[in-house]
Amino acid sequence: MPENITAQVEEQQALGGDYHLLRIAGPTIAAAARAGQFVMLGLGDPGEMLIRRPFSIARVIESAEGPVAFEILYKVVGRGTLAFSRLRPGAAMSVLGPLGRGFWLPAPEAPCRPILVAGGIGIAPFPLFVQQLGPAARHAEVIYGGRSAVDLPLAQWFEPRCGTLTLATEDGTEGLRGRITAPLEQALDRADEQEGSCVFACGPHPMLAAVARLCLERQIPCQLALEETMACGFGVCLGCVVPRRHPTDAFDRFARVCTEGPVFDAREIVL
Amino acid sequence: MSTPVNLEVDLGAGLILRNPVLTASGTFGYGLEFEPFVDLRRLGGIVVKGISPRPRAGNPPPRLVETPSGMLNAIGLQNVGVERFIDDKLPPLRERDATVVVNVFGQGTEDYVAVAEALDGKPGVAALELNLSCPNVAHGGFLIGKSPKAVAEVTAAVRRVSRLPLWVKLTPNVSEIVDIAAAAADAGADALSLVNTYVGMVVDVERRRPVLANLTGGLSGPAIRPMAVAAVYQVARAVKIPLIGMGGIVCVRDIVEFLLVGASAVQVGTASFNEPGIAARLVDELAAWCRDHGVDDVRELVGAIEIPR
Ligand SMILES: Cc1cc2nc3c(=O)[nH]c(=O)nc-3n(C[C@H](O)[C@H](O)[C@H](O)COP(=O)(O)OP(=O)(O)OC[C@H]3O[C@@H](n4cnc5c(N)ncnc54)[C@H](O)[C@@H]3O)c2cc1C
Ligand SMILES: Cc1cc2nc3c(=O)[nH]c(=O)nc-3n(C[C@H](O)[C@H](O)[C@H](O)COP(=O)(O)O)c2cc1C
Ligand code: FES
Repeated sequence: MPENITAQVEEQQALGGDYHLLRIAGPTIAAAARAGQFVMLGLGDPGEMLIRRPFSIARVIESAEGPVAFEILYKVVGRGTLAFSRLRPGAAMSVLGPLGRGFWLPAPEAPCRPILVAGGIGIAPFPLFVQQLGPAARHAEVIYGGRSAVDLPLAQWFEPRCGTLTLATEDGTEGLRGRITAPLEQALDRADEQEGSCVFACGPHPMLAAVARLCLERQIPCQLALEETMACGFGVCLGCVVPRRHPTDAFDRFARVCTEGPVFDAREIVL
Repeated sequence: MSTPVNLEVDLGAGLILRNPVLTASGTFGYGLEFEPFVDLRRLGGIVVKGISPRPRAGNPPPRLVETPSGMLNAIGLQNVGVERFIDDKLPPLRERDATVVVNVFGQGTEDYVAVAEALDGKPGVAALELNLSCPNVAHGGFLIGKSPKAVAEVTAAVRRVSRLPLWVKLTPNVSEIVDIAAAAADAGADALSLVNTYVGMVVDVERRRPVLANLTGGLSGPAIRPMAVAAVYQVARAVKIPLIGMGGIVCVRDIVEFLLVGASAVQVGTASFNEPGIAARLVDELAAWCRDHGVDDVRELVGAIEIPR
């Protein structure tokens, strides 16, 4: 069950470019969080921010007693994220979470080699994913793309923790030049001959559509973390929908990203 | 020693609410989703998401965008339909002893009548609220709500088939809201809810495209409050039946404002997204406000605005 709390900012770290890491106290949310789930964050006063903003839970912070806080990785794109970037330790935020359906990890009896695909800020759910994969992360492959080198703020973090890390930038300032689809295609074709792979992707809509197509063609399991504009985050405003591939009735034609997602099997939805 | 403040209000047709703070249709789901955050019995009432005779898919996304002090939505009345509402939603709401008002939507008179008939005699429904005002669907409610004649026709038709207290929800997107209000009252409405959202549009100037797939949407939130207050003020001077005011309520002074211009009760809408428990909190704050201002009975505030000569 999600918790609706007023919580304290513990740390705010600028990562260069417009990227920031915000640490928020919240033991219950931190303990319950699954990779791919999100929180709604606001400033409390509706005069300042009328609707809260959704952010993936990027990482969980543990002390000796257990989980104590969580972090979000965000990019300043507008009024809300600009206001968040000015918060300092001790500031209060209104927080609702953890929300939604996260990634479901490969079952131990049906192992698969995880390929994590991130575009830009779509990297946000993957540190927690790697934390929750545990030792299996050493077999994971991460393919991480962005516009330019500054758009890959967490590249260093993944380097020692995963099997392989492939970076790509559209301007060629870091890693391969171009989009992540080329290295993904190679990885998938390699995977065909080896043990089965499973793909987990988060990023801009066109990237997710391309990833889904590549995986569906090869019948490789693929989970996608989607973004839609949200007002409530817990299923009541019906604002955040995505078309379902196989609706059962009219009400069912659209799925709510906040409660039925944000993670979907690529076969469930139409991008 | 102070006696407790009376918060009960009378909305006509024998309907007494515990307090004047309800939640607005489309902003509180079917109520049950809010249980983790609020005791539903503390609310004056819950107005559920608009219900049509059959399930509706609603509009394609994007359906939402934030605007200065407000938001624009074009949900398009996605809902489970009246049958599933009766089977799945109503029984648990009844168990919780919540005061449930069903917001009804249709494409034409027959649809409103069909939903009203389906709900007739179903325990757990306190009142019907006819949504003659949704700006986000091409046919039905919105067009009906702009014509006094059509409003009167739908209201009278539902009146004939339902014994439930009947509220009519008005759109502010008209030139004379008072005429529409009078038509609904004359046709047998027991109370009027106002206002629904104002038509608005946001353009993505980089892409030169409307942000919403539906092109336009309905504006809600504090941005509309002064217009909503003015609408309630005008209608209160023209009709005798109770009014339920709404539009941009986020704090207790906003509630008092609507009461003073003539609303007997209010609905909290968009603010519940930001703070799911806000309506219940405002009930307590309203009682405290009354106590602090020497008001023993909240009904003393209704229409108590003083107009300087
Ligand atoms: C489930 C989910 C998880 C998310 N996780 C993260 C995350 O971990 N880190 C992060 O930086 N962002 C994340 N986002 C996107 C984030 O919510 C938006 O960037 C944020 O709401 C923008 O707020 P703003 O007030 O700064 O921008 P606004 O002023 O509201 O808008 C500025 C620009 O951002 C775009 N925008 C607004 N809302 C969204 C949205 N929901 N999705 C995409 N673009 C949007 C607008 O189109 C506009 O061009 C996530 C979104 C969802 C739905
Ligand atoms: C997302 C959303 C969905 C809504 N759906 C309905 C609806 O189904 N039926 C209806 O009569 N009004 C609907 N409304 C209008 C509200 O009930 C209310 O009249 C309006 O939002 C003004 O109040 P507010 O400013 O407090 O939100 C909706 C409003 C929003 C924001
Ligand atoms: S954000 Fe409100 S239903 Fe998903």
